[in-house]
Amino acid sequence: MTPRTCLIVDDSRIIRKVARRLVEGLGFEVDEAADGSEALAFCGGVMPEVILLDWSMPVMDGITFLRRLRALPGGLAPKVLFCTIETRAERIAEALSAGADDYVMKPFDGEILTSKFAEVGAV
Amino acid sequence: MSPDDFDRLQSLMSSRAGFRLTRDRMKLAEHRLGPVARREGFETVDAMLASLWARPVASLGWSVIEALLNPETWFRRDRSSFDTFGKELLPALGKARGGHPVRVWSAGCSTGQEAWSLAIAALEAGVAVEIVGTDLSQRALEKARSGAYTGFEIQRGLKAETMLRHFDQAEDAWIARAELRAMVHFARANLLDVPTDTHRFDIIFCRHVLGDADPARRGGMFDNLERRLVDDGCLFLGPDEQPDGDSIAFRPVAGRKGLFVKSPAALKRVA
Repeated sequence: MTPRTCLIVDDSRIIRKVARRLVEGLGFEVDEAADGSEALAFCGGVMPEVILLDWSMPVMDGITFLRRLRALPGGLAPKVLFCTIETRAERIAEALSAGADDYVMKPFDGEILTSKFAEVGAV
Repeated sequence: MSPDDFDRLQSLMSSRAGFRLTRDRMKLAEHRLGPVARREGFETVDAMLASLWARPVASLGWSVIEALLNPETWFRRDRSSFDTFGKELLPALGKARGGHPVRVWSAGCSTGQEAWSLAIAALEAGVAVEIVGTDLSQRALEKARSGAYTGFEIQRGLKAETMLRHFDQAEDAWIARAELRAMVHFARANLLDVPTDTHRFDIIFCRHVLGDADPARRGGMFDNLERRLVDDGCLFLGPDEQPDGDSIAFRPVAGRKGLFVKSPAALKRVA
């Protein structure tokens, strides 16, 4: 069976490393991008099945990436989970209406991530 | 904590709460009892236990018991049980009850996530319910009643969309909205106690509770659940929990992990 794929988009190398370990633990093959623009370039080549997306990043932020992703051919397919320190209800609602499938508030742990992946039907 | 203290704790937990305090939890017990000792004004855990054994005070005894119970819970734990509840059982039971609210019991509800998850499922199904959450721990019940959860707690099991729809944000907490609160009532109850009234439920959730029970008490606890359940009602246990040899009151429903109905033997006894 081909492993499922997840793209982790975060400007912090440490967060990417921690998230990678958790997501690999769920049986995913993981790629990384350091901002929205890198992520968009990646998705133009091959669409991952799941995207873990930070909000605030240099060059292109998460919400801008998400809107552009959803406009790409095949861009509705990936399950997108925002994963950010932004926890205000109105920002969460903004992310969902921009097309995010779910939203993870930092800090989080493996159990939270597992339950989020399960709720969006990624595992 | 001496081995003798631990033996006494084991028998306290078994006789009062039906809880099996296994020997591998000795370190954990010591760790959990530290804050209780401080709160109750003792220098050390050992001093608190010495006082408890010398002159048993009910309130101190219960504080110790509460601290040793397993409070672990989260929203929509074992998600398929909530889907069975909301999408299959409630629509059918709602019709069968002809508009009367379906009575649901979250037995051993700890900090309330299960009861709120049931309320959310009922709202989404559009079926009227009355949910009662009970636990032995007053501290857990206080939290359950507050309906307030940290960001860490609220997102364990709940989708962000569901969280926004049913909880209000207040500083660092997420608080259950009024429409959920109107459906859920919390009260203290001991699953060891034989029911003294005739109130019965259509659906009982008692998950990850009896797995921790002292085998010597488990059968009686199952019998007490059976007495509280209407004859055509359903019992949910954890997906890996079974009455096994402890009780002949229930039989599993094929294809629905953790779902049980009354066995013919139990129905015959009632008749």
